[in-house]
Parts: sequence; structure tokens; C-alpha cells
Amino acid sequence: MAENNSIWEALGFRKASGVGEAGWGRTLVVAIVSLIYFLPVLFIIFTAFKPQDAALAVPPTLSPTSLFGLIPQQFVFTPTLENFGSVFMRSMTPGGAPEATGFDRYFFNSIVIASSSVLLALVIGTLAAFGFSRYPLKGNDTYLFIILTTRMLPAIVVIIPVILMFRVVGLSGSYTGIILLYTAFNLAFTIWMMKSFFDELSLDVEDAARIDGSSDIKVFFKIALPQVIAGLAATFVFGLILTWNEFLFALLLSGPDTRTVPVAMNQAVSSGGRGTDWTLLAAIETLFLIPVFLVTFFLQNHLLRGVTFGTVKR
Amino acid sequence: MTVVTKMKGFAAATGFAATLLTGGATYAFADDVTLTMAVPDWPPTRVMKKFFDEQYKPASGNKVKLDVDFIPWPDFYTRVNASLTSGEQKYNFIVSDSQWLGAFVEGGYYRKINDLVDADPDFKKTMESIHPAVYNAYSTYPYKSANLYGFPQFPDVLVTYGRKDVLCNDEEQAAFKAKYNEKLPCTGDEISNMDWNTFEHIGEFFMRKKGEKLAGQVLDDDFYGIAYQAGKGYDFSTTSVHTFMWQHGGNIWDETKAPTGHAEGVVNSPESIAGMEHFLKLLKYMPPVVKTGTMDIFVSDQLFREGKVAMNVDWVGLGEASLDPKSSKVSDKLVFGMAPGLRGADGKIDHTEQIGGQPFVLTTWTTPEQTKEAVAFVKWWLSPEMQNKFAAAGGQSAIKSVYEDPKYATYRPWNKAFAESLDWQKDMWHVPQFFELLTQQQDQFDLAITGKQDAKTTMDNVAKFQEDLLKNAGLIQ
Amino acid sequence: MRLSPDNWKLAILVGLVVSVLAAIALPPHVSFWIVGAMAALVAAAFVVNAYRRKYYGGLLVAPAIAVLFVMNIFPLLWSLGLSFFAYQSNQQSIRFIGLANYTKVLTNDIMAPANWGALVNTAMFVVLTVTAQMIVGFLLAMLFAKQFPLRKYLLILVLTPMMLSVVASGVFFSYYYDPTFGILSYVINAITGGQFILMDSKAGAVTGIVFADAWMWSPFVMLLVLAGLVSVPKYLYEAAAIDRVSKWRQFWTITFPYIRGLMMLALLFRTIEAFKLADLVILLTKGGNDTMTISYHLIRIANEQNKTSEGAAISYLMLFMVIVLTNLYLYIANRRSQGD
Repeated sequence: MAENNSIWEALGFRKASGVGEAGWGRTLVVAIVSLIYFLPVLFIIFTAFKPQDAALAVPPTLSPTSLFGLIPQQFVFTPTLENFGSVFMRSMTPGGAPEATGFDRYFFNSIVIASSSVLLALVIGTLAAFGFSRYPLKGNDTYLFIILTTRMLPAIVVIIPVILMFRVVGLSGSYTGIILLYTAFNLAFTIWMMKSFFDELSLDVEDAARIDGSSDIKVFFKIALPQVIAGLAATFVFGLILTWNEFLFALLLSGPDTRTVPVAMNQAVSSGGRGTDWTLLAAIETLFLIPVFLVTFFLQNHLLRGVTFGTVKR
Repeated sequence: MTVVTKMKGFAAATGFAATLLTGGATYAFADDVTLTMAVPDWPPTRVMKKFFDEQYKPASGNKVKLDVDFIPWPDFYTRVNASLTSGEQKYNFIVSDSQWLGAFVEGGYYRKINDLVDADPDFKKTMESIHPAVYNAYSTYPYKSANLYGFPQFPDVLVTYGRKDVLCNDEEQAAFKAKYNEKLPCTGDEISNMDWNTFEHIGEFFMRKKGEKLAGQVLDDDFYGIAYQAGKGYDFSTTSVHTFMWQHGGNIWDETKAPTGHAEGVVNSPESIAGMEHFLKLLKYMPPVVKTGTMDIFVSDQLFREGKVAMNVDWVGLGEASLDPKSSKVSDKLVFGMAPGLRGADGKIDHTEQIGGQPFVLTTWTTPEQTKEAVAFVKWWLSPEMQNKFAAAGGQSAIKSVYEDPKYATYRPWNKAFAESLDWQKDMWHVPQFFELLTQQQDQFDLAITGKQDAKTTMDNVAKFQEDLLKNAGLIQ
Repeated sequence: MRLSPDNWKLAILVGLVVSVLAAIALPPHVSFWIVGAMAALVAAAFVVNAYRRKYYGGLLVAPAIAVLFVMNIFPLLWSLGLSFFAYQSNQQSIRFIGLANYTKVLTNDIMAPANWGALVNTAMFVVLTVTAQMIVGFLLAMLFAKQFPLRKYLLILVLTPMMLSVVASGVFFSYYYDPTFGILSYVINAITGGQFILMDSKAGAVTGIVFADAWMWSPFVMLLVLAGLVSVPKYLYEAAAIDRVSKWRQFWTITFPYIRGLMMLALLFRTIEAFKLADLVILLTKGGNDTMTISYHLIRIANEQNKTSEGAAISYLMLFMVIVLTNLYLYIANRRSQGD
């Protein structure tokens, strides 16, 4: 390996395991591809900083700065933070004083509901996946497939019985109800995903540990689990993203107090007595993006460190 | 802890003192009554909630709380429908499109209010003070029958939004006169007196390319003449098409003539087809988005606010956004008139149009005590005093004494056109099959709008579908 | 019968008796919890029993099955049941009609053509979006497979699209495609001088929807493939390099076995999700230009028009097709892996 990588290691760029290393040339290529891929998101984020009247300007305004004259003035907008304030406080009646929109509550709800249901699904699902992988039941594949079918139908079909059930049990509009539902919603994916990671592990190490007298529980926690951290991270990220943005169940099962951001976001699509409020929608989405973006970013290390045990495939 | 306890004691003492002062009667029997209400989240409902919280004093002495669930517009129907049909029994009041009446009355969710109206002369008087067209549209199921269900929350009509700076410009006036030998409408009254032909001329006249001149200024982007709703979502073309059908002497399937009234031969009558053709003919003077079939009420409103069209026919309910300089580039250039109509042989203009807006209704599981408070609230809400305040805050009223009052026109620039339009309002079907009728014809109209099908085929398909469906449902013999 | 924590037969007996009594004597919102407690008791007995007999498989799987049963399988069975009845959720009457709903949605003159049309469109969207996602996702993963400076900062940029809520991305794509305000038309008009409208034809509308969907979800495929790629032990490549194995052969013999399972998973989940495509269609075309999908069609039937049982019938036909398709995937995948 080249010596000059050590600077980057010192700066925190860990050396790769896996398929090898590449230099700055690759960085340049990937940077171009990634930036192009990111442009539609960047535009939304920029829109969040635009004054309202610039949102639909023709030609479209593309940048908050002219980059020292590099970008023609007609594509430049003057950034403002006003829209972020409007997310939480704005006038809801013509000429009325600004009032609280409840978005602080909606953000709180989204965080509580998504994080607890994804974690719950991860715990239950990982156990089940290990079970399915190491101690196959009679008709193992059938069970797995039935679990998968729970994800196959559009939510609209199963929603009415769920609403009824919640009403009878008194779960409508409660955190418990929606968290349990989302847990189930995430389980299928969690189980399938984690099972595929467990299946890839070598059994030799586990068997050796057992011969050395480790209990099954110890084998799971000390040997199997550390090897699938990449899998756990990826599953958590996917689960979080799907749950974070889930809309239909949230619309129909949450009450005014447990409403989540994706439902409330439509306030900006047509509620101020007009169509889309572009800058407000962009501001809500930008704020809403931050938590899940950060989680993904910080789990990325785990995600990419991969399986470091150097195990041999079965 | 002690401070809190003391505060509580103080509050109790004050309450007790108040009871003594007021004679005790009202306080002794005061109950807490909560009315839960599902409303779309937009200014008219926000204003209503605000007025209730700030100004409503129940005559009964009960403590009445209006618990309002503000649901974003795009999901309002889905949420309400799921809540009602799942038997959740969550809401006492629901703001409802008038067309939903049949479906939800037949389901047993909306409460018939005839008994309440008959039992309370004041309430009866209130109901009778509503404009008959609005009353029929918002209260009756079947349409125009004696069965009553709703009260107006926000009455809405289609009006013409115009750009004064463009329409009243001298150069444009002269050029228009030279080309069409008629005056380019400029004032509200002139617009109210405008027929579809003039509207079409305006459409043709104001199609300008980038670089051409408009009202003396060089355009930096394409400009278009006119816009009205012609989109596939919800009822975003039906509203316009019905208007044209009626004005041309055609008709939609008329539920007041059930069970002998037909769809076939009516919906696809030569007059109805002529209406459809007229509707389609004007599309070429609209911004290009119309060709994608997504020109809904919000899109055309946005094009108008961004200054891309000279005239737009849209709901009064969207007007606030045009007035607000933050969301409108034409806020200081507005002129409003009635929506265009069809000029008859006698020179008079037929302005018949599809009504919009929403009534609100009571649900069947509302308890007698809640119902009592609800009726008291509705009477208060529909009282001329409150309706005037509502109109001043950007609402609309269908109460005769309110909209006929000269000061009504001063609240908002479109109010005069609104009041003049009320006589011309008609509603579509209230039957439970409303959504099936609507989606099928929206799909068919979309095919015509995007140029995949001619007017006659479209109306034939719609008529055949409606005839079959309504025969199956027993609404046509 | 011996009284012991692992005696699940006794637990079931006690549970049944108490549950039935509770259900008869108490109002539902109380009896529900008692029945729930009894179910927990039975479950606990099973757990202790399984633990003592070292039956770990059942033990590990049980909680997941329990949650899934209550929240997913029970509602699924409920709507399966409804599909055999004539039932509209906004009407009180309900009547058993056997398979009539199924024949109606498949053959009825009024209903069937729209159903079949939506189905054909859905098949088209499944093929187009999933293919696009697999290709783009795979290529992106290959780009990121090696370690290089700034990798993690660039990776997060590519992952962001799938974190957007569908409402926001759909609404903004409708803006990007808008002929008056949008960027796409602006750029193309500036080049050609004409008036470009993407969404005014079926081809354009489908392209618009597929592009937006593939853009959002290719990162999902990428992340799965990437997770597989980085799990390949380095010494395998080192060994291959010593043996002078060609890159192409390296990929198929070393890399591919590690990502195959995860690619299959990505394919499986994206196919299932593609069958449910509705939001983007609603936001971009409202089903215009012949882009109606079965899932959007279902929303109209089951929600807007409240034809609950017909909607259930359509969705079960759809479920059947998805099951056949996914089984086909799994069959091929299993056969391939046995062939190694």
C-alpha cells in the first residue's frame, strides 16, 4: 500500500478492507457523479433559502452566490432564513398574527415514533433472523415467505381492519399503536435482511466456540452479532428511512397529538388557501432531512467497515 | 407545590364568588361539552376556530370546547372517509364537500337536521336566510329535496381574476378594438358582462412569445391569454365542463328527475356535446401545462399569481393568495368580475355555473347535549354579525342580509362578483355514487383535454357509463 | 396435570377459560387486555418449555411472529375474508357472494378494462423501474467499492435521495418537469428554441415517473450491493492477484458470490415496492396519459369509492401475482446457489 495514504489515515480516512483502494482520480470521478446525483436534492435545499417570490422565477434561480461572477446574476437568489421560521410560526389567517403551527410537536412525534419502532423491529427481527438462520423450523421457508407477503399489499387494503382494531382496543391516536404497527411494518425487511447476513457467516467459528464450551447465547452475542454490524447498520438505516417517510398509516392512525411530519407536510402543498408553498415545503423537507441524514452519515462507518473478521464463506 | 395549591384554592374561591354574583344558576349546572370537528386546514376554517375561541359565549352557560382537527387539504377526504367508514365515531362536526352528502348520509354518518330546524324557530329563520342555490347545494340530499343536512361553512363560486395593468393598458385596448371590434374588458363590471367569445379573443390576443411586447414592456418569458381548470385530479375539469354544458342548454344526469331521468341522451345530447366542444376550444390559449392534463385550480392560480396569464377563472376561495404581495407578483394589479357566460340570442348572458365551497354537517353519534350546543354554535356562526366578521376576515357568506349589504363588497375586491354570481349556482350530483360518476368522467374529460379523444366520443362514453351504473344502482329505471 | 411454568397445555386451558369468561362478562376494551394477558401467559409457557428443551428456533422467532400476526396477518386475513362478501364500507349491509367479486373485477364490462389496463401499466413500471434501479444501483456501488479519499462524504450525497419524503420529491419533480417554470423545459427550450413539454405523452409521462422513482431508490440497491462488496475478504483478491486471475473472472468467482444474496434481496424488495407504486403517479400525472397503476386504482376503488370487497379482491389477485413472481425469483436464486 502506498505510503502517502497515511496522511488521510491521520485525518480519519480509514484504510479499506474489501476490494482495494483507489486514489484521488477515483475521488474526482465519483465526486462528479455524486454531485449530479445530488442536484435535485440540492435544489430543494436551496429553495428552502429562497425568498418566496424567487421560488418560481423564470429562469430558475440556482445558486445563493454568484461564485465571484461565475454564475450569471439572473440565476442567483438572495438567501433568507425566513422560511425556516415559517415552519414553526406563521400566520394561518389572512392578515392574522403569526401563530404556532405545531411543527415542533410533529418533529418530536416523528423522531419518537420512527426511532422506537425501528429499534424494536431490529431487536425482534434480528433474534428471529438468527433463529431462522441457525435453528431452521419445520417449514422454515414457508414462514419466511409468509412474513414477506405482509409487505406485498398496498397499505390502503389492510388499513380499515387496523383502524377498527385500534378503536376497539383504544389505541387510535396513541404512540403505542402506531409504534407497534411500524414495528410490524419493518419486521419483514429486518428479518430477511439480517437472515441473509447471518447466512453469509462461517459456521466453523461458531462451532469451534461451542466446542470450547460457549453457550448458545454467548455464541450469538460474542461471535455472530459482531460480525453482522454492517448488516445491523444497513437495516437500521433502511428501516429508519422507510418509517421516517411513511405516510398513509400515519395519516389514518395518528391523532392530532401524534401526527408525524410527512402528514403535516401537506400543509405546504395546499393549505394556505392556495397550491404549493414551494419555499415552505422545501424548508420543512430540509429540516426533516437533517436527522435521518445525520444518522445515516454516522452509521456509514459501520456500514462500510464491513465484515472484518476475515471469515471464510461456508 | 404550595404555590400551586394556593393558586388552585384561589381559583376555586374566585369561581365560587362568581357563582354567588351571577345567582348561581348557570354555574351550578355548567357542563363541559367538547365538539370535535374535522376540517380542511386553510384560512376559512382557521378563522372560524379563531372566532370561536375568542368570541363565542355559549348561552347555555356550559363550557363548550371546539376541538378542531386541521387536516391538510390533499388528504382531507381520505382521512374523513376512513374515519367515518371504519366506525371510529370520532368527529361531531365535519366540513364536507356538498357532493359527499349522499355517500355519507346513506352510510348513516351524517345527521338529518329537519327535527332540529323544526323545533327551533330561530334556527329555521337562520336556515331560511341562506341563499336558495347555496341552501339546496349544501343542505339537501337528495338534491333539492326537503331533507336537510348541512350548513354553509365557506360558500365558494368561480369568478374571473384579471390583470388590470394588461387589460386597461391603452395600447392593448386600442389594438384589441382594432382586431375584434369590441372593447377589451378592463373594469370589474366589464368583466362581469363578458361572454366566452370575448374571453376567447382575450386568450388569442394575449398569446405572446418571449421578446414580444406586453403593455409596452418587453417580455422575458412567454405570456398566455387565459386559464381555467382543466385537470385530471378530483373535480378539476368537471367543474368547468358542467358550467359549459349547462350554459349551452345541455345537462348532466339530473338526480331531481330520478328515477325517470336518463343519462344517455342527456349527458351526450347535442347541447351537452356543444358545451364540451366549447370548453375544449379555449384550451389552446392556455399555458402549456394544460396539455399534460394537470391544470388544476392550484396550477392555474399559481400561473396567474406568477404573472403568466391575463385572465384566470378560479374559485373565490383562492383569492387571498393573489392579494398577498409575498405570494403574488400581481397583487397590486388585480381586477375581478363574474366568470364569463354564454350570450344568448336575446343578448343576455347565461352565467350558470358549478358551485364550490363546503357545508359542515353533524354526525349521527353526536349526543343530545352536544347537538344542543352544536345548534347554538351554528346559529351564532350564521348570524349576520358573525358572518360579517367572517367576510371581513376573508371568508364568504351566503346569508342574504350579509352579502346584499353594500359594505360586503368593500371587504374584498371579488365580493361584488361573488354576490352577483350566487343566483347562477347549480350543483352536481349528491348521490352516493358521486365518486364513481366523478372519476370516470374526469378520466374521460382528461382524454379529451389531452387530445386523445373528441368531444362526442367523450360524452357518449360518459353517458353510457352513467346510464349503466345508475341503472344498476336503481336510480334510473 | 402438573403445575409448572413450562406446562403449556395447562396454560392454554386456563387461558381459554378465563378469556371466554372475560369476553362474555366484560366490555371489549377491558376483556381485550385480559385476553391479551392470557395470550401472554400461554406464550410464556411456550417460551419456558422451549427454553428447557433447547428449542431455540421457535423461541427466537416467536416475538416476531406474534407482532406480525396481530398487526399484519390478521388484517390481511380480514380483508381476504371480505373479498368473498358484497360489502361497501360506507353501507351497513354485508352478504356472502363467494367468488363473484373476483369474476367481476376480471370480467365485468365496466370494471374489468380499467383493472387490466392498470395491471399492464403496473407490469411496465415494475420492469422499467426495477431494471433502472438495479443497473444504476449496481454501477454506483462499483464506483464506491474501493476506498478512496472523501469516500464517505460523497457516499452520503448519493444516499440522500431515498431519505426524501415522497411528497416532497414528487412535488418538486412536478416542478422540474413543469413546462412554464421547470428547469428541464427551460434548458431544452434554450437549446432547441421550441416549447418542450415532457409530460404530454405517454412515453414522456412514463419516463418522468420512472426517472424520479429510479433516482429515489437506486441508492437502496447501491447500499445493499455495497454492503456485500465490502464484506469480501481482502486476501481473496490478494490471492487472485498472485494467481493473475483476470478482473472479469475475479468479479464472477470472488465478488459475485458475496453480493448475489443481497442483490436478490434488493431485487425482491424493489419488485414488491414497485407493485405498490402510487404516490409518484398521483403527484406527477394523476394517472393521466395512461399511467394508471393498479395500486393507485386500488386507492380509488377501496378508498374513494368505498368498494371495500372489490378492492380486496383486486388486491388479492395482485398479491397472487406478486407471490408467483417472487417465488420464481427465489426458486432461481436457490437453484443457482445449489449449482455452485
